[in-house]
Amino acid sequence: MSEANIEGNAGSASAAPAPAEPRHLRRVLIIWAVLSVVVIAIWLAVAQFILPQAASSLDVADNFTFLILTVLAVPVSLFVFVFLGYSLIVFRVKERPTEDGPPLQPRPSLQIGWLGITSLLCLFLLIWGLFAFYQETSAAATTNTLVVQVTAQQWQWTFDYPQYGATSQGAQVIEMPVNRPVEFYVTSKDVLHGFSIRALGVRVDANPGETTTTTIITPTQIGSYTVQCVELCGLYHSYMWEAVNVVSADTFNSWITSQGGHL
Amino acid sequence: MSSTTDSTTVAPVRRPNLINNLFPSVVSGIVFGVVAAAVAGVLVNRLTTALSPDGVPNDDAVISAVYTAWVLFFFIGIGAFNGVIKWAFSRREPTYAEELQLAGKDQGLWRYFRYTTDHKVVGMQYLATVFVLFFLGSMGAFSIRLEQSTPGAIYFNPSTYNTIVGMHGILMIASTIIMVSGPFGNFILPIMIGARDMAFPRLNALSYWLLFTAIPIFLSVLLLGGFQTGWTGYAPLADQGLTPGMDAYCFTILVFAISTTIAAVNILTTVIVMRTRGMTWGRLPIFVWGVLLSVILSLTAFPSFIVSQTMVLMDRIFQTSFFLAASGGNNWLYEHLFWFMGHPEVYVIALPAMAVAAEVAAVFTRKPLFGYRLLVGGLVGISVLSVIVWGHHLYTSGSENALTGPFMLDTELISIPTGIFFLVLVGTFWRGQVWVTVPLLFVCGVLVNFVVGGVSGIFLADLPTDEILHGGMFVVAHFHFTLVGAGVFGFFAGIYYWFPKMVGKRLDPALGRLHFWLFEIGFVGTFSALFYAGLQGEPRWSANIAPPFATANTIASLFAIVIAASVFTFIYNVIYSLARGEVATADEWGAKTLEWTVPTPVPLENFEQLPVVTSLPYNYGSPLPESPVAPAADIAGAAIEAPIQPQGEA
Repeated sequence: MSEANIEGNAGSASAAPAPAEPRHLRRVLIIWAVLSVVVIAIWLAVAQFILPQAASSLDVADNFTFLILTVLAVPVSLFVFVFLGYSLIVFRVKERPTEDGPPLQPRPSLQIGWLGITSLLCLFLLIWGLFAFYQETSAAATTNTLVVQVTAQQWQWTFDYPQYGATSQGAQVIEMPVNRPVEFYVTSKDVLHGFSIRALGVRVDANPGETTTTTIITPTQIGSYTVQCVELCGLYHSYMWEAVNVVSADTFNSWITSQGGHL
Repeated sequence: MSSTTDSTTVAPVRRPNLINNLFPSVVSGIVFGVVAAAVAGVLVNRLTTALSPDGVPNDDAVISAVYTAWVLFFFIGIGAFNGVIKWAFSRREPTYAEELQLAGKDQGLWRYFRYTTDHKVVGMQYLATVFVLFFLGSMGAFSIRLEQSTPGAIYFNPSTYNTIVGMHGILMIASTIIMVSGPFGNFILPIMIGARDMAFPRLNALSYWLLFTAIPIFLSVLLLGGFQTGWTGYAPLADQGLTPGMDAYCFTILVFAISTTIAAVNILTTVIVMRTRGMTWGRLPIFVWGVLLSVILSLTAFPSFIVSQTMVLMDRIFQTSFFLAASGGNNWLYEHLFWFMGHPEVYVIALPAMAVAAEVAAVFTRKPLFGYRLLVGGLVGISVLSVIVWGHHLYTSGSENALTGPFMLDTELISIPTGIFFLVLVGTFWRGQVWVTVPLLFVCGVLVNFVVGGVSGIFLADLPTDEILHGGMFVVAHFHFTLVGAGVFGFFAGIYYWFPKMVGKRLDPALGRLHFWLFEIGFVGTFSALFYAGLQGEPRWSANIAPPFATANTIASLFAIVIAASVFTFIYNVIYSLARGEVATADEWGAKTLEWTVPTPVPLENFEQLPVVTSLPYNYGSPLPESPVAPAADIAGAAIEAPIQPQGEA
């Protein structure tokens, strides 16, 4: 985009700026570029404190996508903020204006360029999203994969471990071994619920009468996380959260035994 | 439309007295409606008790009968059918005086409480209703912020909280759908296109009074134990027979959707057939385009809302099982029907507000829109694309995900026409005579907030980030940035801009600036905090905030106090300006659209002589110092063609 693109208007030479007038467009573009770099740098520096802890490779990838999209969003947003702010400060008139502004119209090249840039951004988002999507869905179950059957009902979760014959229900803590792939089979007994463990990047609806298989994820960090319901399911929806502990294999084995399972 | 305005031939309208004022009016409508509702309730109660094997009445059927009787007999009581019945049984055409009385001439304040067909009266009725609904809805919002200010359900029990969230949602969605198309679409739009009234004045009154009848139905939710589903009304939760408040919700939606559909048909027809001479599609003010595209969109969207709520009511009353998995139904059906309405509806709200912003920006920068045709194309693009993006609400629904890719594509494509809006607006400000009035401040608010709302939508459109944000507070913050940040700020730009034309008084600019800054600071503060909470994983609809999200929610609640202050500033401003405001001039801002060419207050049927339009209303700084409007007599040949106009001149 150049000065000529915005200022040009066929048949109105009077709209051209006097030579002494500051070169607004150049100025505002410099402000925009500098601010974009500064804000992106600040965001990259503070992002680790703002983004929540990720405890699986999937969630790490999701957080990274968030980071990248934000880096893209900064110059896009600042473009509007800076142009608007500059216009409000520099072109402001105190009183009711007695004369009109110049009748600027966008050149075709500006219009097509603008559409082109926004289309490219769009294309990038699409490719990024599709790539992540197919990468996720292509993970295949191995013999080592832990199967957890998740049953939602108003207003509690039930976790079955069919490979071990164990069940964990209600307010008890749910445990999972670290560094072992997990696949959740999610269903509901009554209404729609939403099964979500933010730190593991798992989020899928629990539908009555259907069993949904989630992406296979591998918890990579020992720690205590939360499973919560993210679809309004009635009265005690907001009480439907419990602790999920990712623990070492040994701890998991003794926990499974204590839940009535067999190894 | 009347055929003459020659005042000497008009018979005097009868003098109103109290009885004439009350019958028919909204008072007699309410009396008829309440009596009929009581009778219907008792009858159906007896009937269902007698038919039931165990002698228990069907509560859902009783409630449905009560609401149906209320709506029908309200309209009989308010005299909606009087004109039609008189016309059908009379041996003569209605006189001009009778037509005028129906339009509300010479009925003073009472015309606002009648089945009045004048588009300006309907516009003012909508405006007052929008204010009331907004106020009720914002009380809901403050209750939500109060409850979420600390962990645990402290101020309300979870049932009350869910009801408040649902009522806040419906009140705000309903009032934002009508906030621009209702008051300005009825009052301003016909004048803007050079029409004397809407195409169907009686349907206009019908659409408003249907909205009115929906309000008591909706408030009866409180008497019927509330509803647990939130504004989305997801089945099968909605099918659970917990409280009859759910029936009230479904009925409200039915009546509201019918009202909106009628209004949409009316506005669409008006713009197609009532434009004055020279008002070609290419000269239509951008505001008219915005409202037009919005109502077309609502015509495609709302039928599916009517269908889904009818199905829920049938599940509840007649024990059908559209959404019950145990009997062969499916909850995904509801989700698809709902979002097929729900996503276009967002643009039903946003398009007119965006158009207001563009309209106001051109006036206060004294510049033509930077690419009028480009913007029209952008708005058309948004409305077309918005019909095919609803699937992004089902990314994590667990249903077959083959369509995730296409829906991701559609959703992200919308950012291209939306980007056009920003190019045009920013370009309009560029090098203009930027006169920073209160309406223009709100336009700046629209731009700033809508950028944030738009780019945060990208995170929800892209699957990898949606799967950590879906169903959470991030979504809440995102759609508040679009619906409040763009929608409501656009409405306020419109109200500060057109209030002098509609009411004849200026809104106080100092109070207006205070209102803007309180609103903007409070709004950005509140929802930025909620963006953060959502990113950490806080779910929506929570009465009981989990401790990790407590700080962000407390901050959000503190900023909500600033929003509350802005609301009361605005209310004070309206009351103060109505009482003591300066009297506005006919052309308050030096704008060039037609509504500023007519006197204030706008006379019945708006124009002495229908104008002839010769250019876009944005020819600021044009090398040809030509007025966009020429009186008919100034145009060669106009006198010959004059009889074609509905209102010929002598």
